[in-house]
Amino acid sequence: MKITLDWLRDHIATDLDPATIGARLTMAGLELDALIRLDQGLEQVQVGLLETVNPHPNADRLTLCQVRVGEELLEIVCGAKNHRPGDKVAVARIGANLPNGQEIQLGAIRGVTSCGMLCSLKELGLATESDGVLILDPATPHGLPIAQALGKQDVVLELGITPNRGDCLGVRGVARELAALTAQPLRPLEASLVEITAPEAVAQVELNDPEGCPRYAGRIIRGVKIGPSPAWLQQRLEAVGMRAINNVVDITNYLLLDLNQPLHAFDLNRLALPVVVRRAVEGEILRTLDGLDRTLTAAMTVIADQARPLALAGIMGGEESGVTEATTDLFLEAAYFDPIRTARTGRRLELVSESRHRFERGVDPEAIPMVMERATRMILDLAGGQAGPVTLHDGGTWHAPTPILYRPERVNRMGGIELTPHAMNTFLIALGCQVTATAADDSRFLVTPPSWRHDLKREEDLLEEIIRLYGYDRVPTSLPRLPATAPIPDPIRQLTGKIRALLVGMGYQEALDYAFVSPAIQQTFQPALTPLALINPLSEEQSVLRTDLIAGLLESAQRNLNRGNLRLRLFETGRVFLPQPDGTLQEPERLAGVLSGPVDPASAHVVARAVDFFDLKGDLESLLSALTGALPGFTPGGPEFLHPARKALVALPDGTPLGWMGQLHPGLMEKLDLRKELLLFELELARLPENPAAKHQEATTSRFPGIQSDFTFLMPERTPAGNVVQAVMAVDETLIRETRVTAIYTGSGVPEGSKSLTLSLLLQASDRTLTDAESKSLSERIIACVTDGFGAALR
Amino acid sequence: MLDALSRLRTTALDELSHATSPAELEAIRVKTLGKKGELTLILRGLGQMDNEQRATLGAQANAFKEEFAQSLTARMEQLKQAELTQRLEREWVDVTLPGRPRPPGTLHPITKAQNEIIAIFTAMGFPPASGPEVESDWHNFEALNIPPDHPAREMHDTFYLPPSPDGRKRLLRTHTSPVQIRVMEGRQPPLRAIAPGKVFRCDSDLTHTPMFHQVEGFLVDEGVHFGQLKGLLETFLIRFFERPLPVRFRPSFFPFTEPSAEVDMGCLFCAGQGCRVCKKTGWLEVLGCGLIHPNVLTNVGIDRERYTGFAFGMGVERLAMLKYGFPDLRALFENDTRFLTRYA
Repeated sequence: MKITLDWLRDHIATDLDPATIGARLTMAGLELDALIRLDQGLEQVQVGLLETVNPHPNADRLTLCQVRVGEELLEIVCGAKNHRPGDKVAVARIGANLPNGQEIQLGAIRGVTSCGMLCSLKELGLATESDGVLILDPATPHGLPIAQALGKQDVVLELGITPNRGDCLGVRGVARELAALTAQPLRPLEASLVEITAPEAVAQVELNDPEGCPRYAGRIIRGVKIGPSPAWLQQRLEAVGMRAINNVVDITNYLLLDLNQPLHAFDLNRLALPVVVRRAVEGEILRTLDGLDRTLTAAMTVIADQARPLALAGIMGGEESGVTEATTDLFLEAAYFDPIRTARTGRRLELVSESRHRFERGVDPEAIPMVMERATRMILDLAGGQAGPVTLHDGGTWHAPTPILYRPERVNRMGGIELTPHAMNTFLIALGCQVTATAADDSRFLVTPPSWRHDLKREEDLLEEIIRLYGYDRVPTSLPRLPATAPIPDPIRQLTGKIRALLVGMGYQEALDYAFVSPAIQQTFQPALTPLALINPLSEEQSVLRTDLIAGLLESAQRNLNRGNLRLRLFETGRVFLPQPDGTLQEPERLAGVLSGPVDPASAHVVARAVDFFDLKGDLESLLSALTGALPGFTPGGPEFLHPARKALVALPDGTPLGWMGQLHPGLMEKLDLRKELLLFELELARLPENPAAKHQEATTSRFPGIQSDFTFLMPERTPAGNVVQAVMAVDETLIRETRVTAIYTGSGVPEGSKSLTLSLLLQASDRTLTDAESKSLSERIIACVTDGFGAALR
Repeated sequence: MLDALSRLRTTALDELSHATSPAELEAIRVKTLGKKGELTLILRGLGQMDNEQRATLGAQANAFKEEFAQSLTARMEQLKQAELTQRLEREWVDVTLPGRPRPPGTLHPITKAQNEIIAIFTAMGFPPASGPEVESDWHNFEALNIPPDHPAREMHDTFYLPPSPDGRKRLLRTHTSPVQIRVMEGRQPPLRAIAPGKVFRCDSDLTHTPMFHQVEGFLVDEGVHFGQLKGLLETFLIRFFERPLPVRFRPSFFPFTEPSAEVDMGCLFCAGQGCRVCKKTGWLEVLGCGLIHPNVLTNVGIDRERYTGFAFGMGVERLAMLKYGFPDLRALFENDTRFLTRYA
């Protein structure tokens, strides 16, 4: 909210400079967002009197002017055509830095030195377009700063008002706050009653919805003359960003900003008395001042006459009953509308207004009669007319503020402060609270908050007021005393921490993607799952909750490839959102990754090779064996979007499925316009064992020598090597320590449809040196196992 | 015979000094001292000599043997040295060539910042906690003292989801504060936790992404007070930014705390002098906090007379941006590898 310094000074005689005021308010909770001097850029512009205007000796289109500015006579070259000797003009002096960014320097124009510039409205930053230089009122004394001549000396303070401080949405409220902070008294408000000169003009009101409108005041003012507001009023409204319209509307807006009480003026001749405050009829239509037709519901409150709704209570007036240039008689409204009702109606209609903003935070119901008098007085002063009596209806549904019990000792304890009850009470009284002692030893007080502070309801609220005025910064700091604990770690957090460390060590980069994705993309990857859709997405691209990580990660991969980042090793851990058949939702934590491009970055030392299935598989083997203490299992299979011959299901050694890995299906690559092969994986983290079993079984290292023995077999080409290794390992689970595939060969020397497979075995006993006989018999069993089991032949 | 020995000495030593390989040296040794070598030939006549002559010649022959051996070793050393020098010369590499690149992986800057934040609070005794990202209206709003028509709901641009089967409203959590409720529900003080996580608001522009990260922390116990909250957060900020910093607490408003405060720290970029980053104020707003509102304690069944608590929340993106200095918020979720490498 914007206020101006002069305006503030109408309410409080403060001599603090605006920056200090801003700082004090900020530290009290009304944050200064900006400080704007209205004369910014006009500091070196003064009023000048044109004494002579002569043609420029060297240029037909220019004039050479002699301008009197106070004691000085300046010679200035000017290109405008609308200036005459005797005119009062705005003179920018040498060194001026105008609001439009122009800097005025001493310089010669066509051989004649110009000691300044005559300014247009545009150059002064007061209009977006202007024709010729600004000609001022002839009565303006020359030498006067232009800001003063144009009423631009004020300073605007822009304050951030939190939702609990609706009482500060008026200049008076800010002044009250400053008064409490600086112990400077508020100026009293003129409170005398307006003389009733039209006693027969009774504002008939029926209050039929006391719940939606606990308090309603109406008054008729006859014979007003609608016209422009005086300059001071227009300037104040414009300074705080409100457009001046006409005197009556400007007055209602002014008092909204001044006293935080929204008012509404109806054209009396466009309605039929009595005015009725009632619930809207379901489906009733009202065209509001913004020209839109609003369909109302029975949960909304309207101001109506016998025929139709006139205004949306507390939010916006109706177009048909508003004040126009032709209005002569007014029905003026000042009311207290229920905050919740106002908020609901406004939200339902998506209608934002200054009035709604204030009513939904709560205005001061006690102030209504006073504001009505002030409004009437201003209208009579600025628009003329005769005032009728005020009709005031109390619905009886608003309550005087409830007294709060507070205990200074508890306030000190919660605040970590040591203030006397007297000091605390002083702060509360400064804020307008009434304080009554209820215990002889000052241990308990009853505090009645002022009618404008709807946010003060509890002892804790008073604590805030007390330390706020005392100063948060003066509260001594200490540290809480906590008992020593070894907190039970969050297993998923621990696991993701380990995974990140391992993958980063393996050269992977962690990615973070949005939790919402495009339904089309998600559908491509998880056709069987219907993702949960946002009711109010920002865009179609981010409208459903992800059911896997790979869809988002693939988008990141694509973005990188498009930008020429071809070597990719990305991973992400995060939650996916899986709707369950019973309608509930699960949020399991997953790990996914993408691999693409060369294995190593380009360099003189290596021959470039693109990553393949086995690079990823090796990484997953390292990762999972580090996490679980055992090699995972890989079996052919996996989701449809992977290359059918290059995909595998990943599982724990006990068979618990973890997820999948593989190469992106070439068909999908084409569909997604991806030019580079991508290897992908996604794993379910909750299935990983929390604590991998400690390996206490048998020492894995034996001190007896082992026998390294290699076997090369010829076998059908598509024989899964994994199965062969598994079968060999099963031949003797204690003596065969290790079986590795060390060579695979197809080509010359190997029959078509066959491959040559070399297995390297380590045969070793933990308690003895193997005898030749033992190793020979073991070798025979191994050979038999492979030849018999896989149709292989020893080479 | 003495003459012959003297000649042999001259020739042999000369040959040694000219030898160019270990093999040549060996050949000279055999030729000179071997069983059929020249010294043996000379000494063959020893038997016919008288004792005195024999002693003289024997002593001279031994001296020669000694001298020969020494020369041989010295020459061998020389040759080895020369050979090594040659080998070293052959093994030249261009040390100015870059090494084999082995780029390390990188943590996302958000993870990095989150880890640092959690580490500080964990060390101070706050265990990490977490909660669901899809939340109920109760946990995200109502339990936190934000009833349905509260103006504070406007501060949260909420993403809504279809209701759950039991008819309860579902939404994407707009802050990590619901974790506070989840930890407190069904438990009694002393309670404390630190809860990092993703949060969502339907707002997207240069300074807002619809998803971002927060860390929430809280403590409920007997005798917890505002001064402790101040001390804790001051300590945190100084540890996180690794330098002494002025910190100030400003009254503010959150529905779930009373009193509430915003925490500012002295601008890192201008030492409080005022610059573009701090909008000329010299201060950077980094945290929100306050004493837990008594309604919140009541909502989770904690005795509001006996216990007090404090809670605080911070935006990880903001802290990460300030600490690591990346310029654009939106780049965070594009996962451009150049960005990830630069801000790792």
